[in-house]
Amino acid sequence: MTAQSVSSAGPREGYAVGSSIWSRAWHNHAPGYMFLLPWFIGFFGLTIGPIVTSLYLSFTHFDLLTAPRWAGLDNYVRMFTADPKFTASMRVTMFFVVFSVPLKLAFALCVALLLNRGMRGLPLYRALFYLPSLLGASVAIAILWREIFARDGLINKILAMFGIIGPSWISNPNYSLWTLIILSIWQFGSPMIIFLAGLRQIPQDMYEAASLDGASKWRQFWKITLPMLTPVVFFNAIIQTIEAFKSFTPAFIISGGTGAPINSTLFYTLYLFQEAFGFFRMGYASALAWVLLAIVALFTAFSFLTSKYWVHYDD
Amino acid sequence: MTFRVDRRQFLMGSTALLAAGAMSPAFAQETRLRQFFWGGQARADRTNGVNDLFVAANPGTTIDSSFLAWGDYWPKLATETAGGNAPDIIQMDYRYIVEYAKRGAIAPLDDFAGNVLQLADFDPDQYEGGKVDGKLYGVSLGANSVALAINLDAFEEAGVAPPNRDTTYDDIRKMGEAFNAKGTMKVIQDGSGSEPMLDNWLRQKGLALYTADGKLGFGEAEIIEWFTMWDQMRADGICVDAETQALDTNGPLENTMLALGKAAIIASNSNQLVAHQAIIKSKLTISNYPRIAPGVGGGHYRKPSMFFSVGGSSANKEAAAKYLSFFINDPEAGKVLGVERGIPCSAHVRDAVAPTLDQQSQIALNFVANLGDLLGPLPPPPPAAAGEIDASLLRVLSQEVGFGARTPEDAGKYFISEATAILSRAA
Repeated sequence: MTAQSVSSAGPREGYAVGSSIWSRAWHNHAPGYMFLLPWFIGFFGLTIGPIVTSLYLSFTHFDLLTAPRWAGLDNYVRMFTADPKFTASMRVTMFFVVFSVPLKLAFALCVALLLNRGMRGLPLYRALFYLPSLLGASVAIAILWREIFARDGLINKILAMFGIIGPSWISNPNYSLWTLIILSIWQFGSPMIIFLAGLRQIPQDMYEAASLDGASKWRQFWKITLPMLTPVVFFNAIIQTIEAFKSFTPAFIISGGTGAPINSTLFYTLYLFQEAFGFFRMGYASALAWVLLAIVALFTAFSFLTSKYWVHYDD
Repeated sequence: MTFRVDRRQFLMGSTALLAAGAMSPAFAQETRLRQFFWGGQARADRTNGVNDLFVAANPGTTIDSSFLAWGDYWPKLATETAGGNAPDIIQMDYRYIVEYAKRGAIAPLDDFAGNVLQLADFDPDQYEGGKVDGKLYGVSLGANSVALAINLDAFEEAGVAPPNRDTTYDDIRKMGEAFNAKGTMKVIQDGSGSEPMLDNWLRQKGLALYTADGKLGFGEAEIIEWFTMWDQMRADGICVDAETQALDTNGPLENTMLALGKAAIIASNSNQLVAHQAIIKSKLTISNYPRIAPGVGGGHYRKPSMFFSVGGSSANKEAAAKYLSFFINDPEAGKVLGVERGIPCSAHVRDAVAPTLDQQSQIALNFVANLGDLLGPLPPPPPAAAGEIDASLLRVLSQEVGFGARTPEDAGKYFISEATAILSRAA
C-alpha cells in the first residue's frame, strides 16, 4: 500500500531531481538500516570477510607466522592426487553421514510418533527428550561418552551382566566410529520436535476415513503419515546432513584431537583442524574447507533435485 | 566448520574488553605484561606465586597470565602471533623455537643479556640451548631429561625390584613376567609410538632421529626392529595391549597408562615426576630409559625443558627481559618454582632451592645431576616437520601394528617412505 502511494505521488517531483528518489528512500529507510547495522557489521566483518579471505588463502601457502605465498592450484592438486589422509578422512566422514543421518531421523520419528499419541505430561517428555540436543555438542558430553564406552565403562558393566566381555569401544578402531554415530543419534531432539509439529498438521479426518475403510495402523502410517510428512523429512534430512558433515567436537574430544585409533575417527573437519592448527598449513586447510563446502552444496542440490519425486507438498 | 562462542561468554568477554578499555587511561603509566604458557594447575600456581613476588618487587607492573594444555597452547599462540597480538612473555619449546625465531615472532635477547637479564652463573649448555643462529632467543627455565616414571607401589605388590640405572629392555621383559604372574597390571606401557623412547633407543645405537641437516637419522632396518621388539612385547603380554594404549591420546596426564593404573612404567620426563605425583596416589619415582644392552649408554641428554621467550612485537621487551631475569635468578622465586619446570639453571638458585625441596623433587634433581655414562651429546633442534611425523606417522603406525592392521615390516617401510616425503615437502 505505502509503496503504491509513494510511486503514484512520485512522478512530478521525481522528474525534477533523479537522485531525490534515492535520498527520499534513504530518508525513509535509514532508521531500519541503522537498526540492522550491527547485523551488517557482523555479516560482512565476521562472515563474508573471512569466507572471501579463506578462498584467497586456499590458493596460497600460509603458515600464520609469515605472509601467504601464492601457490596457484597446488593445494587442490595435492589434495586429489597425493594425500592419503584426505581420502581417509573423507571416507570416515561419509560413513558417519550415511549411517548417522538416516538412523537419527528414524529414531527421532519413532519418538515423535510415540509422543504424538496425546499422552499426559507431553511438555515434560518433550523437554526431556530434547535435552540431549542441548547438551550434545558440548565438551562435557563427549567426555562422559568416553567414560561410558571405556573398557570398564557403563556399557561393558551392563554387558557383563549377560556374561559378555565387551571391548574398549572408544579405543578400538572397529567400534570407535560407531560410538560417535550413537552419540549423534542420541541427539535426536531437534528433528523430533520438528517431526512432532509436522504430525500435528496432518488432518485427523484422513485417519478417520482410513479407519472406516479398514486400513490398519501400519498401513495408515505408510499411506498417510509418511507421505504427509515428507516435506518435514526433507527439511530434517538436509539440515541433519549438513550438521553431520560439520560435526567436529565429539571426535575432537574423544580422540584427543588425533582422530585415533588409527585415524578411525579422523573426521574431515578434524583433519582440516589438524592441518590448520596442528601443522600450521592454513592455505591447505582453507582449500580443504572449500572442498567441504562444495561437497555439502552438491549433496544439498542433489536432495533438492530429487525432492520432486518423493516430497509431497499438496494437501 | 563453525566455532561458536556462546552468548554469555561473548557478553562477558566484551564487557571485560570495555572495562579494560575504560580503565586503561587511569593506569597509563603501568607496564602490563602478558604471559602465556602451557601446563597444568600445579604449574600455574607456582607461576602465579612468582608473578606476585615480581609485582611486589616492581610496583607499577602488572602481569596477565594465562595457560593452556600443550595441545591447545600452540594453535592459540600461533593465532595470536598471526593476529599481531602475541603475548610479551611466551613459553617456548625446543621443537618450535627455530621456527618462531626465524620468522621474527620472538625477539633476540642479546641486548639485554648482562644488564637487565642476568646470566652470570647460568649453565653454559642451557644457555647455548636457547640460541638460534648464534642469537639468544630463549632462556631455559630448567634442565631436564627423559625419564621413566615408575609406580613403586605396583612393583612392591608384584614383588619385583623397580628399574635402576642398569636396567635393560630384557630386564623389563623379566619384570613383566613377574607382573603377569600377579595379574594386577602390566609392567610397562606400549612405547612403540613414543618418539622420545625411539629417540633414546636410536641414540644408544649411535644413531639419531634427525640429522643436523633435517633428514632422518636412521633407516628401515632400525624402525622395523623397533616395531618388532614392541610387537613381541605386546604378543607376550609384557606391555599393555593396543586397545588399552589407545586410551592415552597423548593429551592430559590423567590419561597416561600410569594414571589409569594400566602399567607400572611409562615414558616421561624428569620434571614431570612432580606433575604425575600430583594426580596419582601410589608412590612414584623416576629412572633412566632402559638400556639396549648392559653397559650401553649415551641415550640421554640434558635438554632445556622449556624456555621463556619475549614476543617479537612486544612493546615491553625490556620489562619482559627483567621479568625473565627475576624468574631465573631470584632465590625466593626459585623456591616457589621448585623443579616443576626442570632443574634451575642458575647455580646460586640451585643451591638455595636444593635444601627446601621435598623428597620427590630431590629425586628429580639428583637424577638430572647424575646421568653420567647415560649422557650423550645434545641433538640439533628437530626439523619443522618433526611434529607431523610424530603425530601422523609414528603414533598411527604404532597403533596399526598394535591392532594387527600392518606387520612391523610393512609399517617400517611405510614410515621411511612417508617420513622422507614429508621432510622433502617441508624443505
